[in-house]
Amino acid sequence: MSAMIEMKNVTKEFKVLNRREGLKGSLKDLFSRDYKIVRAVDDISMHIEQGEMVGYLGPNGAGKSTTIKMMTGVLEPTSGEILVGGNVPYQNRTKNAQEIGVVFGQRSQLWWALPLIESFRILKDIYQIPNEKYENMLALYRSLVDIDPLLHKPIRQMSLGQRTLSDILAAFLHDPKIVFLDEPTIGLDVSMKSKIRTLIHALNQEKKTTVILTTHDMGDVDALCQRIVIIDKGKMLYDNDMAHLKSFFGSYRTLKIRTDGAMKQQAQTIQQEFSAFSVTADEERISILVDEDQSKVIDVLAQIQKTYAIRDMQLEEISTENVIQKIYEEGVQ
Amino acid sequence: MSLKKYLTLTRAGIMESLQFRLATAVMVIGNLLYLIIVYYLWKAIYASAGTDVVNGMTFTDTLIYLVLATALFNFMEMYTVWEMGRNIQTGKIVLDLLKPMEYQRYLFWSFSGTFITQFFFTFLPTFLVVAFVTQGTIPLGLNLLYFMISVVMAIVINYSMDFLVGTICLYTESIWGINIMKQVVVLLLSGATIPIAFFPEPLKTVMFYLPFQSIYHAPLTILLSRASDSQQLLTTLGTQLFWCVVMMLLSKLFWKLSLRQITVNGG
Repeated sequence: MSAMIEMKNVTKEFKVLNRREGLKGSLKDLFSRDYKIVRAVDDISMHIEQGEMVGYLGPNGAGKSTTIKMMTGVLEPTSGEILVGGNVPYQNRTKNAQEIGVVFGQRSQLWWALPLIESFRILKDIYQIPNEKYENMLALYRSLVDIDPLLHKPIRQMSLGQRTLSDILAAFLHDPKIVFLDEPTIGLDVSMKSKIRTLIHALNQEKKTTVILTTHDMGDVDALCQRIVIIDKGKMLYDNDMAHLKSFFGSYRTLKIRTDGAMKQQAQTIQQEFSAFSVTADEERISILVDEDQSKVIDVLAQIQKTYAIRDMQLEEISTENVIQKIYEEGVQ
Repeated sequence: MSLKKYLTLTRAGIMESLQFRLATAVMVIGNLLYLIIVYYLWKAIYASAGTDVVNGMTFTDTLIYLVLATALFNFMEMYTVWEMGRNIQTGKIVLDLLKPMEYQRYLFWSFSGTFITQFFFTFLPTFLVVAFVTQGTIPLGLNLLYFMISVVMAIVINYSMDFLVGTICLYTESIWGINIMKQVVVLLLSGATIPIAFFPEPLKTVMFYLPFQSIYHAPLTILLSRASDSQQLLTTLGTQLFWCVVMMLLSKLFWKLSLRQITVNGG
């Protein structure tokens, strides 16, 4: 197994103008040389093998996109080394481009006015994909998803889900060694999300493509990745396999309920009943952080229903933000 | 073989531009209105001049020149600056940069399809109508061949210039003002709105040393000149070739430097 991506102590700094307030400040800014240095990515090292599927997690502004842009060669690191498939990406951007595929959640690389099949044909010529390989790839796609109704539909008439699906297929078309997926499931409904996850999984298995998946949806990572890397404020917080993280977190879910009557007092009595879980309350609802290894959410709910009239309930998966907060509070590794 | 990867973009461009039939129709109507204004404006100018020939050009000469200049403009203007500006603002440029092709070429070939459709849908019909209506005023001979060569170079110069201006968007992140300024300067100094013959002598000299006249003035003069003065023809084509190379190198260099700046400092 060879290293597909090798990052050594990579740091990226941006120069940002210090903006002043007000009209006078804006005028002064025109001539200002007062820059501050923002460190978007801070001393990150990573080693990714061929065929790995890595979840790259972090809240907004954590430096995920900056890292991806450095790996694709659009940005040059301030210091440190990056090798992608043996190339230094920013020096050989055009060559590197032949080896990678990219999907940016909200933007499409496809030809907007043309049917999908035309976009595929154009990509075939641009990436100089041999006929046989191209046909094989289309055959594979057919076996994985029902693409025939999509092929003759112009991109602009597609739904967001169909477009994302098409974009993912387009990114894999030239059989790249690495595919970067930046928020691929953003804004999609549950069934489309699962369809896309299945597709990504199958392509990774079939083609042994290395996949870097940026997301803040824990569900994506849970379904797809064996390994996850978490960054926050440019710093690496966690880099290990998914199972390890899970054993650390157990399987927490947040149960939110709304009841009749004063919820703050009710929360206290519920807390006494379930001393193992933390219960909090505000004006709107009572939140109970349930560890499903200890008791099922449904049992907790049944127990509460005996005493209180539940008007509304909500179940939340643990979010990236929760994970990061917990890592800060308790530390992992 | 490697040409195929460019020609596929031309093909895509042709197909894309054919999708927007209504846009083409609206543009034709818009041009018609513009040409009507031009007609009456110059009619008035000639009437007030009191002579049939102003600055060596008759009313018909001027009109033919301006009609063809408009047709040429419609076919050469690719709104490259807008496209680049929009791509930079929305960040779509990142996707284009990740194509296994230089961005400058990628964009040019993506536009090339539109050149072809526009040539057949706007320039050629206009030219045929003008040639037919003014019977015999436009010489139809070898000059057509030279004209085609000249237009190809004009396209390259115009594109390089647009690309150069578009690159500025990497710094400013706004396009409107810059593009308007570029358009006015190019249209005026290239002889697209007023034939160069009408400019005062000193300005004419200055314009001769600028690249702009190679975009509109040069191909139109070649097309309309009756006398086959090979000396002058060579000078015109030579000047165009010179600007072609200079602008290509300049825009490429500026883009490379700017892109480096951006990859270092971020956008």
